[in-house]
Amino acid sequence: MMERTLDGNAVGGLLLELFGVELTAAPCVCGSCGAREEVARLDVYVDCPGVVVRCRHCGDVMITIVRGRERTWVDLRGTRGLELG
Amino acid sequence: MAGTAVLGRLTWLAAEVAAVRGETPRVSTLELEVPGWSDHRAGQHLDVRLTAEDGYQAQRSYSIASAPGEPLAITVERLEDGEVSPYLVGEAHEGDRFEVRGPIGGYFVWDADEPERVLLVAGGSGVVPLMAMARHRARAGGEAPMRLLYSSRSLEDVIYREELETLGIDVVHTLTREQPPGWSGYARRIDDELLREVAFPASESPRVYVCGSTRFVDAAADGLVRLGYDPAWVRTERFGATG
Repeated sequence: MMERTLDGNAVGGLLLELFGVELTAAPCVCGSCGAREEVARLDVYVDCPGVVVRCRHCGDVMITIVRGRERTWVDLRGTRGLELG
Repeated sequence: MAGTAVLGRLTWLAAEVAAVRGETPRVSTLELEVPGWSDHRAGQHLDVRLTAEDGYQAQRSYSIASAPGEPLAITVERLEDGEVSPYLVGEAHEGDRFEVRGPIGGYFVWDADEPERVLLVAGGSGVVPLMAMARHRARAGGEAPMRLLYSSRSLEDVIYREELETLGIDVVHTLTREQPPGWSGYARRIDDELLREVAFPASESPRVYVCGSTRFVDAAADGLVRLGYDPAWVRTERFGATG
């Protein structure tokens, strides 16, 4: 199956559920290339186990979210910063 | 699940279908009654969760079609291999119940008091959140000039065709696969020349909202940047065929 590239709008509900704040409009800085884009403008892949968010400029992984039955793992090591309004 | 309850900003609410309206052969609008729902902004979406008798759950996101202050409505395209849309389009009836949560999103939103010209670019059912913006402008008496460039496969597939003519905005259709006899409008996919003819000049610094499939959104957004638009003016939302 072809992988579908969505964007950060598609994980707005998940991020709001996990963090309790609206994050799609929050600027986010890529840990690899330093590009700064709103979360809504990042590439999002949902066909993998969990959700993978990649930089739209360099393609490196910025955020991964894996949900288990009772716990959720969020890996933010590819994100240098997240700016909350 | 105590942690989830403590955050509590986004909780599943019981929704009841108040009305169903067919828009095209594959697209329906569902008006929902959701006690406890807080009003949305034009462009936001919500999540729908269906639960089967055996406990299996399926969840999808749908754009809100109604303007803020109007009865809540979503417009859904039926995807034959989908898990949720074949129920919502075709089977859901007045009085049916399922769960929703939202409203969701703070990036792909527009408020009627923003003064800049607004260009809306829709591919297929990507028109839904843009329709919420056009309705919002009409209901709120917004004065920003608004223009919609709307790409559909055929005239039959144009969602909201009649209402679009009543909202006081410019509407430019392009029909990419099939055109009715005598069609004098655009009849091709959006390309740079078409954008140059339809889009406001870059010198006017318009706000832009593009919604459609990933391929459509990327083509339209890249074309607008080639016309001189600042990428920051162009807000995009890709929808996936997630059913």
